[in-house]
Amino acid sequence: MQLDFAAIKGDSRNYKILVGVLAAVVIAGLAAYGVAYMYGFRLWGVNNYVTWGQLITVDFFFIGLSAGSLVVSSLVYVFGQERYKPIGRIAVLMGLLLMISAMLTVLTDLGRPEKFWRLFMYFYLSNMKSMFGINGIFYAGYILLLGTYLVAALSGSKLTKFIAPVAVLWAMLVHMGTGAIVGFIETRHVMYSPLKPIEFISAAFASGLALVMLLSYLTLKFSKRPLDKDMFVSLGKFLVVLILVLMVLVAVDKLTHFYPPKREAVMFLISGPWAWIFWLQVVLGYFIPLAILCNPWLRKKVNWVIAACAICVVGIFFERAAIIFPGLSQPLEYYPGEIAGIWGARGGFLIMPAETLQTLGIVAVLGLVFVLGLKYMDLLPAPAAAEHAEGEASEQATPAAEGGQA
Amino acid sequence: MANWGMVIDLDKCVGCQACSLACKAENNVPHGTPYEHDRHHDMYWHKVIAAHEGEYPAVNTQIIPMPCMHCSSPPCVNVCPSKATFKRGDGIVVQNFRRCLGCRYCIVACPYGARNFNFKDQQDEEYQRPDLPPDLAAEVGGLKYGAEIGPWPYPHRTRGVVEKCTYCFHRIDEALLRIENGADIKIGVDVVPACVEACPTEARFFGDLDDPESTVSRLLASRTYIKLREDMLTNPKTIYLPR
Repeated sequence: MQLDFAAIKGDSRNYKILVGVLAAVVIAGLAAYGVAYMYGFRLWGVNNYVTWGQLITVDFFFIGLSAGSLVVSSLVYVFGQERYKPIGRIAVLMGLLLMISAMLTVLTDLGRPEKFWRLFMYFYLSNMKSMFGINGIFYAGYILLLGTYLVAALSGSKLTKFIAPVAVLWAMLVHMGTGAIVGFIETRHVMYSPLKPIEFISAAFASGLALVMLLSYLTLKFSKRPLDKDMFVSLGKFLVVLILVLMVLVAVDKLTHFYPPKREAVMFLISGPWAWIFWLQVVLGYFIPLAILCNPWLRKKVNWVIAACAICVVGIFFERAAIIFPGLSQPLEYYPGEIAGIWGARGGFLIMPAETLQTLGIVAVLGLVFVLGLKYMDLLPAPAAAEHAEGEASEQATPAAEGGQA
Repeated sequence: MANWGMVIDLDKCVGCQACSLACKAENNVPHGTPYEHDRHHDMYWHKVIAAHEGEYPAVNTQIIPMPCMHCSSPPCVNVCPSKATFKRGDGIVVQNFRRCLGCRYCIVACPYGARNFNFKDQQDEEYQRPDLPPDLAAEVGGLKYGAEIGPWPYPHRTRGVVEKCTYCFHRIDEALLRIENGADIKIGVDVVPACVEACPTEARFFGDLDDPESTVSRLLASRTYIKLREDMLTNPKTIYLPR
């Protein structure tokens, strides 16, 4: 199947408004970060208990989405499923952008961001026993690989055939390593689990596929490019499998930790003060998308499939939050008995403007580069032949696209 | 080389918090406001917890002063990506503020809540120990500095890094230098960490766990002792004598 790709023209009013809004949010995020850098992280919601906050949640979320996007692209470039080709390039670009945004969140989450280079002094100044240190290799290699992959995919080079499998395997490494960051910490019983790396990769596949479906659908629709509805319906079937695997993994993980008498961590997660995060994860991430995608009527309707994708992406965001917030706020048992005062208190977390603006800013950076990428790179399948009406075809490029990423 | 450890006799502890105060004064740990206290933004290198068991009138309250446990297998050292926290040759787990990125992974990994992120700068800018750094080539008291010089001059640090108890290693190192120069002092007797010095009931003891003649070794040999969260297998060097 021969498929031409073309950039959108991007001179419509809506496109300019979208770019302007995203740029404004980016600037607001930058300003918020500048203020937080000058005054310290006391302006953030993080504290000595819940010491990782929104940014690390978004970081795990983005790394997952990135790995998942890569897998979608692998359907095209590794497994040769030509019918998915229209969204192959978007998937690769999303993979790269999401990973770069994830690195931005990590960088700005550091207390002393100017020392970030120490993470990349492998074996010399970095501690290679730390999962962060090991992930430094994975992350840097991943971004390099993805850059090459994107260039190769854009130029339609044969090289993609070689890069794609490597990139997909590397993406698995990246995401399993990220899962290990929290999964290997015995102190935090909510996080501690040998299944965490596998669960992370599984969540990554599900959310990444859902996001690519959502974004590519919205982009194709609003740029009035040829839209193959059957492709989305068949990807929806694939998504069912991924969500089911993820659900089984999470259930097994929680049941394993629930079965023995030492089950405080699971009880804290499913019935503690943060339980709503976990239940949002389960309901939004698994139940509602499965209900839609397994329904014999709804699963054939592309609008419902896309809605299921959007709900699934939001649900997986709560999956990340359900690791960070309950995991860190569960009180540490220094000594048997009830510990008085703040030392035995559960950790709390405040939504602070500086941190939230910065998080939104990073999401907006992602959206902005994506929207500009649509204009300057040949990402989308060319409009159906016969007309060169790109002028109005590219009208209102994706006013909702950034809503999908948020 | 010595293997520094602390023994805290819970039978003598009255929970007066003099140790916490002495620690703050000695190490210039910023004081906090009630607002920061509520938000867990204030820093304590040393804390005193009270654990209750049972219902009134049959309630048992255990008061436990908690400095850093200076684990023999410290989880924080494993997870630190930049080698900012490391175990010195004499077993003290220190934090090098110049290397610390502020990623806070160690806070996540520490089972004892001994680590604090500093959300604001030290307040008394003029309070900085004027001690000269030790001679890099010297081997003092069996402690070779070399690359392990750490956060000297101590204890100045910027905001945005993680801080923790150090067993007042600056006192120990200074004493080692003085001993080298012929002073007749003994670490654990004449020179102790600030919290040990401040304890009004003399519930705390500091010394060399490897030296069978030291006070701490004698106490551990004569009484039953506990370590906190032994299930973590961190093997702390802050050891408690139960009531």
